[in-house]
Amino acid sequence: MSLFDPLVLLLVAAGLYMAWNIGANDLANAMGTSVGSGALSIKQVIIIAGIFEFGGAVLFGKRVTSTIAKGIVPIDSISAIDPHLVAIGMLAAILAAGFWITLATFYNLPVSTTHSIVGAVLGFGLTAGYYGMIGYSEIKWDVLTKIVGSWLVSPLLGAVIAYIIFTLIRYFILQKTDDPYIIEKKFVVLQTMTACYIAFAHGSNDVANAVGPIYAGLNSLDMAGVSVPLWVMVLGGIGMVVGLATWGYRVIETIGTRITELTPTRGFSAEFATASVVVLHSYSSLPISTTHTLVGSVIGVGLAGGLAAVDLSVIGKIVVSWIVTVPVAALTCALIFAGLLGVGI
Amino acid sequence: MIKKEYIRSVLNVFASSPFKPLVMHANKGGDCVRKLNESLQAYCNGDMEKVEALNKEIDVIEHEADVIKQTIRSELSSSIMLPVHANDLLNFLKPQDSISDDAQEVAFWLTVRRLEAPDEIRVGFNDLMNKTLETVELYEDLVSTLGELLETSFSKRDVEDTLVLVTKVEEMEHQVDIIEKELVKQIFRNEDAIGALGVYHLARLVRGIGDIADKAEHAADRLRTMVLRR
Repeated sequence: MSLFDPLVLLLVAAGLYMAWNIGANDLANAMGTSVGSGALSIKQVIIIAGIFEFGGAVLFGKRVTSTIAKGIVPIDSISAIDPHLVAIGMLAAILAAGFWITLATFYNLPVSTTHSIVGAVLGFGLTAGYYGMIGYSEIKWDVLTKIVGSWLVSPLLGAVIAYIIFTLIRYFILQKTDDPYIIEKKFVVLQTMTACYIAFAHGSNDVANAVGPIYAGLNSLDMAGVSVPLWVMVLGGIGMVVGLATWGYRVIETIGTRITELTPTRGFSAEFATASVVVLHSYSSLPISTTHTLVGSVIGVGLAGGLAAVDLSVIGKIVVSWIVTVPVAALTCALIFAGLLGVGI
Repeated sequence: MIKKEYIRSVLNVFASSPFKPLVMHANKGGDCVRKLNESLQAYCNGDMEKVEALNKEIDVIEHEADVIKQTIRSELSSSIMLPVHANDLLNFLKPQDSISDDAQEVAFWLTVRRLEAPDEIRVGFNDLMNKTLETVELYEDLVSTLGELLETSFSKRDVEDTLVLVTKVEEMEHQVDIIEKELVKQIFRNEDAIGALGVYHLARLVRGIGDIADKAEHAADRLRTMVLRR
């Protein structure tokens, strides 16, 4: 099987689109908080994000990528029937997730790329079960339960950690100072570090959403081994950085001008908490939403009395997006997969 | 709701802060009282044209203050989490809004009748107005400390600084009360020279100016509750 097989090319192209999308939106969201607090200029943020996002993806992204590729659907059983099935199914998964994400972006819904791709991959597995390629019980429900559980835990954990960090800063630093503005200036340096940290964390977790399906396809076509090939991770990293540079900077700009309330001490607390939670999950091979974790962390800072006004109605919107995203992405993927099989690809 | 920016973002969690508009709103009240001070000077000098002109200017500023107040209220839906109780914030916004309302009313009452009174009454009015303006300007300083309070997330030291200013506003309002009572007595002592209608008009003006300081004191008191009861 050659790399220039149309199916492989399509899969890679779809994966790149997904990576572009993630860079343009999710990464921009994570980085926007550093611009909003005035810690960094947009140019600086893009350079930092480019380097560390890429580093996170290439150096620390393989675990979650394996989960997306092999952790949910038993691709080995499916490729035993026909190696092309996995590539087609994963192509359907990326297309479904990409479609749902594009729609959500159009309507400004807080939908996560992670949730979409996990839902879509599950849809592929369920369709494979429907066609009798695998038994429904072969889908790794225990892993899926862990993943969905981590979606609930990660924003909560972000909130708790951010609450603790900001409370400490408040108690030991802000309340003892004569001039809080000097403290904020000092935190600019620390926030530059957390900006790198959050970009690294984001890269390590979210690259999987784009390259997980590519790897699964390549793996069953015998073009990739047990470990994810470096060039696949590099491709994902490049896709996300290009997304940030070509579209994401506008998102950063919008976010930066709107969240001036998030001063360096607050931004530091939220970013440090978010990055730590995300890296922890990357280490545990669990795909989570960086944006939702960041929202949790910001609420944590708010609960610690650090923000002038926090809108809690966003929690409801996020919960709804959880409930809707998985079934919708799964169903869309099933339809695309069935359609692709139907036209005889 | 964000209009068509085509992003899925963390923005939704950030609500607009009511505290900056609160400071702006307090300053609108201050602007009204500063204009009223000018108007009263003109009134004492018999320059009724200027009094009319300033009355219109104060109407405009008072309306701007109302718009800010409405914006603050409309943006404080039940899902917004603030570092203070939202009810306390609204309770303090109300008397603060009355500062410009009361200034507007006095400005109007200045336009309806010329001043026919002995010099000692003019001096009394000047004293009353000056002390009231001082009270309101001190109140503006008090509200502007909210920025620092938020910055340090209500550090003990900053809360204490704020509370000291509250007490100062209250003391100054008490001095306004004293001047107010003395002026009313003076007006009645000069009843023969001023006439019954004049007494009614002047007493009403005195009451109106005194009310402005009252409202500043009232708002300062509510602000204290807001800061302490977090």
